[in-house]
Amino acid sequence: MIEVVLNDRLGKKVRVKCNDDDTIGDLKKLVAAQTGTRADKIRIQKWYNIYKDHITLRDYEIHDGMGLELYYN
Amino acid sequence: MANRTDPTAKNIRGTNPQNLVEKILRTKIYQHTYWKEQCFGLTAETLVDKAMELDYVGGTYGGNRKPTPFMCLVMKMLQIQPEKDIVVEFIKNEDYKYVRILGSFYLRLTGVDSDVYQYLEPLYNDYRKLRQKLGDGRFSLTHVDEVIDELLTKDYSCDIALPRIKKRWTLESIGTLEPRKSALEDDFEEEEDKEEDDQAMVEVGEKDHYRRRSPARERDHDRKHDSRRHRDRDNDRECGRGSERERSRDRDRDRDRLYLREDKDNGRERARDRDKGEDREWDRRDRDRGRRRNRSTSRSRSRSRDRRDGRDRRKRHGRGSASPPRRHDEDGNSRDESRKKKPKIEKKDDGTDHPDPEIAEANRLRASLGLKPLRP
Repeated sequence: MIEVVLNDRLGKKVRVKCNDDDTIGDLKKLVAAQTGTRADKIRIQKWYNIYKDHITLRDYEIHDGMGLELYYN
Repeated sequence: MANRTDPTAKNIRGTNPQNLVEKILRTKIYQHTYWKEQCFGLTAETLVDKAMELDYVGGTYGGNRKPTPFMCLVMKMLQIQPEKDIVVEFIKNEDYKYVRILGSFYLRLTGVDSDVYQYLEPLYNDYRKLRQKLGDGRFSLTHVDEVIDELLTKDYSCDIALPRIKKRWTLESIGTLEPRKSALEDDFEEEEDKEEDDQAMVEVGEKDHYRRRSPARERDHDRKHDSRRHRDRDNDRECGRGSERERSRDRDRDRDRLYLREDKDNGRERARDRDKGEDREWDRRDRDRGRRRNRSTSRSRSRSRDRRDGRDRRKRHGRGSASPPRRHDEDGNSRDESRKKKPKIEKKDDGTDHPDPEIAEANRLRASLGLKPLRP
């Protein structure tokens, strides 16, 4: 189990527990459940890399305690 | 600003019609090349040409959520606000299915509830295929009637939150809408007629039966046949375009299945009537089963609570002399069973009994989303 932090820098910062073989799509669902924003309106990125839904956290080398950027669309 | 709304446009739902598209999507549309190149200076007439060129529906796609041309045209329509007649023409046209969807979508966004139902419901009989672009850029196959159903029953379509619309039931009870008439209604009546005829045939001779029929009924029957003929012609015309034939056949099959099921239900009912003697036995067993089920649902709760429940029940039983001894015995058996079973099931998975309440909570959430539990 790892914990990642997602921050939209507009006042929403969530910590989410997840497995490292979850996909980004799963992570979006978990974030959606915590924040109340629709999962398909969430975009997760790191600098200019927009993370794709079908790829796992492990493949993006997302580790425990890492911070991700949370955007909306 | 080229992106402002037509100054003569009326407000819709108390605001600028362009606000029906959310801000983020709106800015994306304004920045998109299709909007800048193709949608510049469109009028209601030139928009038709662009709409005819559409070859898929959809909201946004790709990593940075580019809007589809369909969405751009919806936006354009909101901007120039074509007259209602034009929109209705869009919907009524037979040849261009994407124009039809564009018109329906626009009407759903801006129209009055009764209009939405009145103009969109006839499209339930349009079974043509549509291409739909999904969020990840892939295409999927859908049909006109499915999209219409989504527009009428859901509040979210093509990445846009649709305005609230009253339920059909409400509008009917107010009296602004007639009850919906299904296109299959004639089929149903024919089927019923046929069944009646068959039964009559079994009872009387065939010729006799036909002679006996009253003229009024004859006329009725003829009309129905006519309607069937019309429909067939329609089908033939549509046949080239898509898979209407198959679909209608499918529906037929479905309906048959429905009938079958009804028959079966009837059979079961009768059977139950027959062994009314064993009714009480049945009843009791049912009740017991219900109780057992109750107990098993408490599986997801924490173990301590369960145990407390169990103790309560035992206490009650120790006191309880109201229940007959045999039931007592049976109950005891089942309790043993459930006690044996419970730990196994609890261990099984979903991890909602984790000692750390935070993780248990997370697992509960994951289970509800259909994800595997957290690994340690």
